[in-house]
This record gives sequence, structure tokens and C-alpha cells, in this order.
Amino acid sequence: MSDQSVIHDIGYQRYTGTRLGRGYAARSLFEHGLRISFGLGRSAKAKIFPWIVIGMVSALAVIVVAIKAQTGEMVLSYQDLPATISVVAMVFLAVVAPELVSRDLRNQTLPLYFSRPIRRSDYALAKLAALIVAVWLLLAGPQTLIFLGSAFTAADASGVGAEARGLLGGWLISAVYAMVFASLAVLIASIASRRAFAAGAIVVVFMVTSPVVGLLIALGEGRAMSQIAPMFSPFLLPEGVRQWLFGTSFDVGPYGPVYGLVTLLLVAGCTSLLVLRYRKVSL
Amino acid sequence: MEHRKPRTKGSPVSDLDLRGVSRWYGNVVAVNDVTMTLGPGVTGLLGPNGAGKTTLLHMMAGFLAPSRGEVLIDGDATWRNPAIYRKLGLVNEREAVYGFLSGKEFVRASAKLHGLPDADAATRRAIELVEMADAQDRRMDTYSKGMRQRMRVAAALVHDPAVLLLDEPFNGMDPRQRMHMMDLLHRLGAQGRTVLFSSHILEEVEQVSGTVQVIVAGRLAASGDYRTIRRLMTHRPHVFAIRSSDDRRLAVALMASDSVAGVTLGKDGLTVHAGDYGTFTRALPRIALDEGVRVRQLIPSDESLESVFSYLVSA
Amino acid sequence: MALIATQSLTKTYPGGVTALSDLTLSVEPGIIGLVGANGAGKSTMIKTLLGLLTPTSGRAEVLGLDPTTAGGQVRARVGYMPEHDCLPPDMIAAEFVTHMGRMTGLPRTVARERASEALRHVGLYEERYRQIGGYSTGMKQRVKLAQALVHDPDLLLLDEPTNGLDPAGRDAMLTLIHRIGTEFGISVVVCSHLLGEIERICDSLIAIEGGRLLRADRIDAMTTGTDVLAIEVAEGTAELSAALAQRGLTATAEGRMLLVPLTEEATYDLVLRTVAELDLPLHRLDQRRHRVAELFSTATPTPSLEVSHV
Repeated sequence: MSDQSVIHDIGYQRYTGTRLGRGYAARSLFEHGLRISFGLGRSAKAKIFPWIVIGMVSALAVIVVAIKAQTGEMVLSYQDLPATISVVAMVFLAVVAPELVSRDLRNQTLPLYFSRPIRRSDYALAKLAALIVAVWLLLAGPQTLIFLGSAFTAADASGVGAEARGLLGGWLISAVYAMVFASLAVLIASIASRRAFAAGAIVVVFMVTSPVVGLLIALGEGRAMSQIAPMFSPFLLPEGVRQWLFGTSFDVGPYGPVYGLVTLLLVAGCTSLLVLRYRKVSL
Repeated sequence: MEHRKPRTKGSPVSDLDLRGVSRWYGNVVAVNDVTMTLGPGVTGLLGPNGAGKTTLLHMMAGFLAPSRGEVLIDGDATWRNPAIYRKLGLVNEREAVYGFLSGKEFVRASAKLHGLPDADAATRRAIELVEMADAQDRRMDTYSKGMRQRMRVAAALVHDPAVLLLDEPFNGMDPRQRMHMMDLLHRLGAQGRTVLFSSHILEEVEQVSGTVQVIVAGRLAASGDYRTIRRLMTHRPHVFAIRSSDDRRLAVALMASDSVAGVTLGKDGLTVHAGDYGTFTRALPRIALDEGVRVRQLIPSDESLESVFSYLVSA
Repeated sequence: MALIATQSLTKTYPGGVTALSDLTLSVEPGIIGLVGANGAGKSTMIKTLLGLLTPTSGRAEVLGLDPTTAGGQVRARVGYMPEHDCLPPDMIAAEFVTHMGRMTGLPRTVARERASEALRHVGLYEERYRQIGGYSTGMKQRVKLAQALVHDPDLLLLDEPTNGLDPAGRDAMLTLIHRIGTEFGISVVVCSHLLGEIERICDSLIAIEGGRLLRADRIDAMTTGTDVLAIEVAEGTAELSAALAQRGLTATAEGRMLLVPLTEEATYDLVLRTVAELDLPLHRLDQRRHRVAELFSTATPTPSLEVSHV
């Protein structure tokens, strides 16, 4: 009879397997950021806020679908939706951006990241990408729900096709909103290491221009001023782009392309500042 | 601790006296029935994190009232007694220092706060005592950690107190800075001051002072010289490490002795557990000579402050 | 191949502070103590080795790589444990270390497994599934060590690993580091102010002072025996001193001890015989060795001339 007894070696094992590069690490950080944004993989308390927000915007989508089913009328078009829930998106950002970014600053966890192969710019861009995608999902999710609801009640295949085109347009506008909002929010959050300050600062920056812009629009009714002033509000800038691309928003006169350019510059500018900000962080 | 040399002719020495002192916060008993007397010289206040060292120091410094018992300096309570600060200096663990002040200004401010008649002279003396005269005119935010600490000691000494309390004074200092600070504390102790410093780094305490007060979970576990404390632990066999010309032979011979409780043979030599310290230490030379074994090294391996401390904590 | 080598390494910050000055050294794999470098010198050294800082002049080499050009590669093979608090309190330890593993390029499942193992090796068992916020200082230090270890580095940089630990915790951490350096086969650089710790677990030492190299040597080269024998008897010291003098051995008193010159092996026997004849309790018999601390007691600069921090 053979003796089957053995002691297994559970001492320290060296690792000789694959080691993936910067790209993988950045993607992991992006994924991690996305999960944090929606409270996944963390305590129940962290899930409350994001899921209430998701619940709210989903409820809105369901209502729109219900009304469409009943009366055939689309009270909120795909492209209208982001504007309608933009304030909710801002609040979402004011809570989530600090979670994503200020925490690492506050806890001084950054040295643990930067002593690894990942570069500082990788870190900054991964966080930015995660937040852009999170906001986009927040806006595109309800749009998709509306599409699904409408597709079921559509009259025929061409109806579905029309809905699909509408959805894609809506997604594009959501993307513009996401990029403008997220790049501003992440930059602000990366400067304030206290979550409460960051949250407040985000709200302030988003809303500070609104009164003045509103005034200028009212004063400059129909003239250049009312066509240019909206560029200065984060809520209205994407709408200007919408008008330029699809003509479905307020009057921007000949300044459509300028809206596009300003959006590009804003996003690029915030991104650069963000990367610069993390360059300055010391180990 | 028995020599009482006054710092200057005629200046008195002071005794710091704790009698049955306890301090609690609701259900948390930070300090539990501590009685000790400290006289001139340097004493180390030792204990694990959260054992109550800082609470004790604060009570000694009059910042905190004991929930029970008395904290006295020369018979006067430290609590609610501003006059006590003439005899007492405290150097806290963490203190924000106004970086823009020069060292001299900082110490002078302390002198003025004490209402000293000749603030400048007192400042000069204090700074000389800590050997910081060369840097006194520089801003404190240009000082290294060790230098800032020394200035804070100067500020605490400016009124020539008989009692000096320091909370974790060596925190974060490099070896050179630590040596200077240790040297300073020795000098202060030799001047007849009563110096008490707290630390949880045994290596530091061992080098500064053999006299310790050990606090464990709020209770005073032991006082005095740590080597003597070790010898008081008679129920624990003393552990010795021996290297000789023939370890095994010596081991066998030692096991024959009543005073030996156990012997372990290792590649670095012999480890002996001696149940009877007195008998063993006398017997070893004789046994080795009888066996013709040359003893090259005999070291008491559990007499270090580290061992004594771990025994006290686990008691 | 040397583990770490520098040649005339110098770093001057704008503003004029020179943190490292003309440092030339070479250390073999093993456990190395880095001592004396407070503030600017130490953090500059660490950042330079990790490739996060470019030297003003001179070169550095880590594991045969130049950190200035191959920084990413160096960082993939080095694990760093910072001195300060750096852990997110609201994450579960196992998840955090897994995440850090992935940040160093470990595939998902591998990262999870190695994280679990790393936490086990540092002595965290069921606690690793709890949030870091509830951990004691000792446990947090272990998590910091685990995240440095998770990707199986060839070199660990530990900055004051026993910081904030009580004597028992300190002892446990030092034992762990020693195990890592000897059994696991990973080289370790330990930054510490406590020479006792360094003498206990390190094989070599780098001492930096004022940005300059004070000494870089093996510990056993610095702790060689002297020709002095220390004797301590629990009582009768004066008697012993006199008796030894009679036999031609002049003893100098030092505290409770007597020091005699150790010129030949026979001295040991002479001392033992004398003690036995007088029936004195022998407490200690030990050849004096040099100590690392001696490095700092010679030519001590006055305290007010210390280099200030950055």
C-alpha cells in the first residue's frame, strides 16, 4: 500500500508569467474608475446615490415611453433628453468626480500608483475617460430605454429605423455633454483634495455663469449677443453644438462652428491642465 | 537618582509625585491607579501605543485633571495651578511652530509668556544650553526636524524649570540628531533636573536611561532600572547565550546542574534557561573549567529592555 | 551585477538646495540599510532610483537598468512602501492589493491570487476581507508591504517600515523583512533611523549625511571584534579587578563592566579561572565589537550646522 502523505509547499512563489504593459494598467484603472462611479465593488452606502440618480432618469425615460404609447406623442426627443437631465448630471458629477479623484489625493495614495510603470498622464487620462463614459452612460441609458420602448410600439420597420437614427443623434449629443461636463468636473476635483470643497466648487463653476448668460441672452434678443453668450455656460455650450450639427436647439446664427471649436478647446484645455496637475504631484 | 546636584547654587530640586492617579473618559480608563515618584535624573516613560503615556504626561503638566488621585510637584497639585509652570517645562510631541519666527524670537516669546524679568538673558542661556547659538537668528522653517526640536526644548527651559517633560522627543530623528538630543537630556539630568521623556522605541530609551517607568494598558507595570527589574522576575528562567570551544560537552555538563532548566544547541552556540540565576552564574565558570571547555562568550539574552518590556506586557 | 550602483550622483533643486552630492556607491543584492538621510536626501534618493527624478549630474543604475531611460521597466521590478499613510480607508484590503497588482501589469486572476498570497505572507488572514479603515497601525503597515510585494519585485524599497509600531509590532515586521530578504530571495532596501534595527537584519549599510556618502559597507565589516574583552559580574567587581591585576591583566571599569585587553585566547581561560576562584556570579563575558553607531559619533558636526530640508 503506497503512502499518499505529502507536505505541500505553500511558501512564497516567484512569478514568471506574463506581465502586461501600461495599456493594460491604464485600462484597469479606467474600469476601476467606472465601477467606483456607480458604487460597484464598494459598500452599500456608496451605491445609494448613483443608483437613485439612475432610478430617476430611468423613471423619466419610462414615463416618456408610456406617454408615447398612449398618445403617440414624443414629449421628449432623444436630443432633448440630455438638456432635460443636465442638472441631474451635474449633481451626479459633483458627487462622483471627487470620489474618483479627490480621494486618491486626500489619502495620499498617488505615490503607490506613480511608483509603478503607469505614467502620470495615463492616470489622469484614465480617470477622465472613466468619468466621461460614466456621464455618457447616465445620459445615453435613458435614451436607449426610450428607443427600446418606442421600437416595440413602432408601426413598422421604417419606424424602427427612424427611431434608431434618432437614438444615434441623441447619443452623439450625450457624448458632447459628457465630454464638456466631465472634463470640467475632473479638473476641479483634482485641484480640491477635500471632497466637500470639490463638490461645491463643481456646482459653483457650472452655475456661476448662468445668471449673467441668461441676462445677456434676454438683453441681446435676436442679435449676436444672444447667439454668443450661451457659449459661456456649460449647460448651453453643448446645446449650441447641437444646433450646429442638427439645428434642433436655440438660434446660434452663423456661430455654429464657433461652438464646435470652443467645445473642442475647452475639453482639450481641461485635459491638458489635468495632466499638468498630476505632473506636479510629488511622490 | 540618589545624587542631588542643584543646577545653580541654591536652586532647589523638585520631586514629581503621583499618588493613586486614574483618568477615565466614560468607559475608557486611560490611566489606572498609578503611583510613582520621580526625582532628579532622566527617566524613560515606556509603554505600547495607547498605553496612556501622553495622558500621564498631560496630567503631570497640569493640562488634564486626574479623575482620581493626586499629581503633585513638591507637594503642590499641577491641576489649575498656574504657579506650577515656574517649575515645569513641557515639550509636546506635535506642535505647530510659527515658521516665520527665528529661533531666538521663538524662545524669547516663551520667556515673555513666563513673565521673566530679563527675557533676553534667559533666552541666551536657554539657547546656549541646547547648543543652537549659531542658528538662532535663522527662521525656524529652515531648521531640520532635530533643530526645531532643540529650539522647542530651549523654549521649555527658558524659565529654568526643575522638571522637564518630553513627549516622544526622538520621533523621526536621524542617528546624529538623536545622539545630540540624548546628550542634552543627560546633561539636563546631571544638572539635577527631573527629566521624564516618553517613547515607544526601546532602542532609544535603553541608550538614554536605565531608569524606566513602564505603563501597560494604563497601569504602571514596573519602575526602576530595567536590569534590576529583570532580576526581580524570578519566576522566569534567565536566558543566556553561550559560545564555547565545545558546546555539546558543556551542554551536557550544564544539564547536570540543578540551576539549569533547559539547554538548546544551535549552530550559533548554546542557549541556557537558568531557573536559579544566582547559582547558575556561579556554577558556570566552575563547570566549564572542570570540563576543560573554553568559554568565549556569555551574554544574558533576555535582559535587554526589549525582552523585559515584552515580559511585562505579556504578564 | 550590483543591485544598485551610482556614480557621482548629484541632485540640486531649483532654489539651491543640494539633496545629493557626488554620491558614488555600489551594493550587492541582499538586505541593505539606508540611514542618516533625513528629509531631502532620502526622498530624492528613492525618487531617483524609481526613475521619477532626473539627476542634475551623475548616473544611477538599478538592477542593471538606468532609471532615467528605462523608468517603466525599473518600476515594474521594484516594490515601494512609503513612510506615510497612503491607504484608502474604504476599500477592502484584498481588493486594494489586487487593484495594485493589476496596476503593475498582472492579469486579473493572477492579481487576485497573488494579492491573497501576499496578504497571507505578511500575516493577514481573515482580516484581509475587511475594510482598511478598521485596521490597526501594524495591520496597515502590512498591507503597505503586501502591495509592494504583490507583483513579485526583485527589489523592495521600504521607507521606515516600523514607523508607528509598538515593540511587538516592530519585532514582527523586522522578522518578516528578514524572511523576505533571505527566504523569498528578494533584495530589500530598508530606510531607518534606528541603528539597532539595521544591525539586526541588514547585511550592508549606506549612510548618507548632508547629501554626501558617509559610508557604504557590509555590516559585518563595520562590526568586527576589537581587542577588548568585557566582563560583568553581578557582584564583587572591585575584587575581580584587583585579582585580574595581580595576574597581569589590567582592567578598566565602565559602568558595571570591566574591560580587559584581549590579546590571546588564553585570556578567556584566565578570566574564567579568576572568577571561579573568587566564586563570583559571572553575568557577561563578551568580546567588544564595533558598532554602526560609531559612524555617527566621530567628528560630530554641531547641531546648528545641519542641512535643512527641502
